[in-house]
Amino acid sequence: MRYIEWAFLFLLSGLGIGLANYVGFHVSFGESLPGILILLAIAFAGVIVSRLVPLRLPIVAYVSIIGLLTASPLSPCREFVIEAAGKINFTAPLTMVGAYAGMSISDQVKTFAKQGWKMILIGIFVMTGTFVMSAIIAQTTLSLTGAI
Amino acid sequence: MEHHAYPSLKDRILAEYRIYLLALLFVIIADKIGKFQIPLGPGTFILFPIFYSLIMGVLSGPQAAKIIRSKEVKAASKLVIVAICPFIAKLGINAGASIETVISAGPALLLQEFGNLGTIFLAMPVALLLGLKREAIGATHSINRETNLALITDMYGPDSPETRGSLSIYVVGGMVGTIYFGFMVSVIASLGLFHPYALGMSSGVGAGIMMASATASLTELYPSMAEEISALASASETISGIDGIYMAIFLGLPLCNWMYKKLEPVLGRSSSKAEASGK
Repeated sequence: MRYIEWAFLFLLSGLGIGLANYVGFHVSFGESLPGILILLAIAFAGVIVSRLVPLRLPIVAYVSIIGLLTASPLSPCREFVIEAAGKINFTAPLTMVGAYAGMSISDQVKTFAKQGWKMILIGIFVMTGTFVMSAIIAQTTLSLTGAI
Repeated sequence: MEHHAYPSLKDRILAEYRIYLLALLFVIIADKIGKFQIPLGPGTFILFPIFYSLIMGVLSGPQAAKIIRSKEVKAASKLVIVAICPFIAKLGINAGASIETVISAGPALLLQEFGNLGTIFLAMPVALLLGLKREAIGATHSINRETNLALITDMYGPDSPETRGSLSIYVVGGMVGTIYFGFMVSVIASLGLFHPYALGMSSGVGAGIMMASATASLTELYPSMAEEISALASASETISGIDGIYMAIFLGLPLCNWMYKKLEPVLGRSSSKAEASGK
């Protein structure tokens, strides 16, 4: 994708976030705007960095790291970033993700129906196993290192 | 040279504008409905707008309401990553804001990554008991999102049983994963065995939308620790995004193949006997 396409699609996502924050949480567009712009700027920076850095990591990894840096004590605009992003409710950016994700799997309905109960059951065990074993290790390590 | 899906931005918009409008409409409807909490068994089923928009998206497709066509389905799958980036940025900010928590949880954050192999220990025996053969390896080696499916297809070939298994769980995860993850996490939280921080970092399983669903539930259940929980989820998801594929290649798949060799003769035979006697 060209940068201009990323920019356009990010602005569209920003509109989705603003809508969700207004409709769902009654935060006005004006109040959401600084937070939205910060999130979009970080996302866009992530795209640029992922192209400049030869290390092939997922774009979201770069976005996440840049987000962390801009809000870390190293950042000169830390307070502003945290406060502005705080105006965006946690689930507001997610509704648009769900809409796209739903459409993107909408041609798999028949394949899904054909899987039968066995695969659905195995899928449940796959998801549960992944989560639970992580939780056991996390709980143990957090206790041993005295972090909790 | 980079390959472009469209000759220009204008062509992209002309081809995709119906997706954009529909997505914005779904956002309005979904957030208008808002959040619901339904106590269910030991957990709380928390319904979030993302679930409604996901379901509306599925229903709008070529195998239901036929509002969007197959070509638009392909286009929408590229848009998911665009839409999730601002959310990931938001979580990254939370991680930066709670950097002390993230650092103090450092060792746990790194070690719990190996927990992502838990799927093999739990799901592989189940798959073999249900009579799966080599499909079990593709199905249970990881949480089976896009990169894992691509890896299995690459390693075993598109027509292999391993790829069939991986694809099945990929489809199941896509359809029910988001909603199931949110609910499962609330049930596990209700057991009281795990600190919310441990649950937060376990949400980062390498599937952005599942992590989002799990974290949304957790922040709802523990509002006073919301920031730390999402910070840890973000850190863990970032690490999973980086190490996930290596984890699968160097640990997950060898472990799967080893377990298959050991367990299949034991569990697999009994299930084929049961099938034979059933005939």
